[in-house]
Amino acid sequence: MKTVRFSVYRFDPSSDKKERYATYEVPYKTGMTVLDGLLYIKERLDHTLAIRYSCRMGICGSCGMTVNGLPRLACYTQVKEVGWSLKVEPLRNHPHVRDLVTNFDEFFKKHKSVKPWLVRTDSREQESPTSQYLQSDAELEKYIQFSYCISCGLCYSACPVVSSLPEFPGPQALALLYRYLADSRDQSRSERLKIVDEAVGIWRCHFAGSCSQVCPKGVDPALAIQLLRREMMRG
Amino acid sequence: MRATRAQSRSYSTVLKTMLLPAGYSVERWSYTLQRVTGVVVTLYFVLHVVETGNFIGGPGVWYVPSKDFAASYYEQVKELLHNPIFDAGLVIIGWMVAFHTINGLRLTLAHFGITLGKPTRVDPESPPRSFSNYQRAIFWASIALATFAAVYSVDALFGVLSG
Ligand code: FES
Repeated sequence: MKTVRFSVYRFDPSSDKKERYATYEVPYKTGMTVLDGLLYIKERLDHTLAIRYSCRMGICGSCGMTVNGLPRLACYTQVKEVGWSLKVEPLRNHPHVRDLVTNFDEFFKKHKSVKPWLVRTDSREQESPTSQYLQSDAELEKYIQFSYCISCGLCYSACPVVSSLPEFPGPQALALLYRYLADSRDQSRSERLKIVDEAVGIWRCHFAGSCSQVCPKGVDPALAIQLLRREMMRG
Repeated sequence: MRATRAQSRSYSTVLKTMLLPAGYSVERWSYTLQRVTGVVVTLYFVLHVVETGNFIGGPGVWYVPSKDFAASYYEQVKELLHNPIFDAGLVIIGWMVAFHTINGLRLTLAHFGITLGKPTRVDPESPPRSFSNYQRAIFWASIALATFAAVYSVDALFGVLSG
């Protein structure tokens, strides 16, 4: 039977002094994803392995990890497309908790800082609406692509700027900011622009495009950031 | 839950993420090249100003040196720089300056949203719209023109083509 070799990063800060890589041989099944392989390891070979996942279908965004050097969703990556020998490590740029599990506190703090929701100033209308908020196709297309973000943190992990400058908001937060800015229903344009017009804000993006390359949802954060920058230039 | 910064922020991971674009698209290679050329050209510029100052007026360039001193210093520096290693360095600097300039124009266009694709309904199969053909064309043009600049400098400094 064909087997897949998993070389998995292991580190438990409560007992280990140094990280190590453990190797496991996992029997291959057609359609096997990286997550399937890791669950096989956890169930049959070594139940101390720590991983995080939930939906197993590329929706919840919790199974991000570095597979053969690139950030990917483990449940969304077929073993076949990566190779028969896999090196699985935690996501970069996120603090590690244990084994393949990373901490997303900082990431979500940045996410929240861009106010990822529609801001309206007509509170009375909001409480008792008198009409709908219809949008044309053109209006929808300005932001719909960026609203598919599942906050999996892969773009954040691929970003070389976050790596050298941990205070940088990162592609996910910036793309989400643009998603709401470009929405015709939002009414806080100038406040939104101010949020990232900082010394360590949007201007630190150097358009390395890695965020867009690794996004499993086709969100293209690099495009959103450049378009956001254009909006900032316009003021 | 206790989070650790082990590996995620170790110097080697930061350097790897910053400087090794392996596995990523040409945009990431452009990022690394743009950074490296930017730093090297800046350092070169500082050395260049110092060295040209010395060359022209000696260490006393900020006041008027005696003519004899300036003349002897001029000769010394000329002798020092008359060395193929420095010439080869100039060829590399020529490549870097040309690349950094043209690739910088590409990035400036991107800042204004020019040459980028438009956002669309999601289609995970097609490449990101930000990796537009225009952007890629300018990137490759910057590589081509930089290489031309390097060839030109080789010829100018070593007289390879003109003999
Ligand atoms: S487990 Fe939900 S995205 Fe992978």
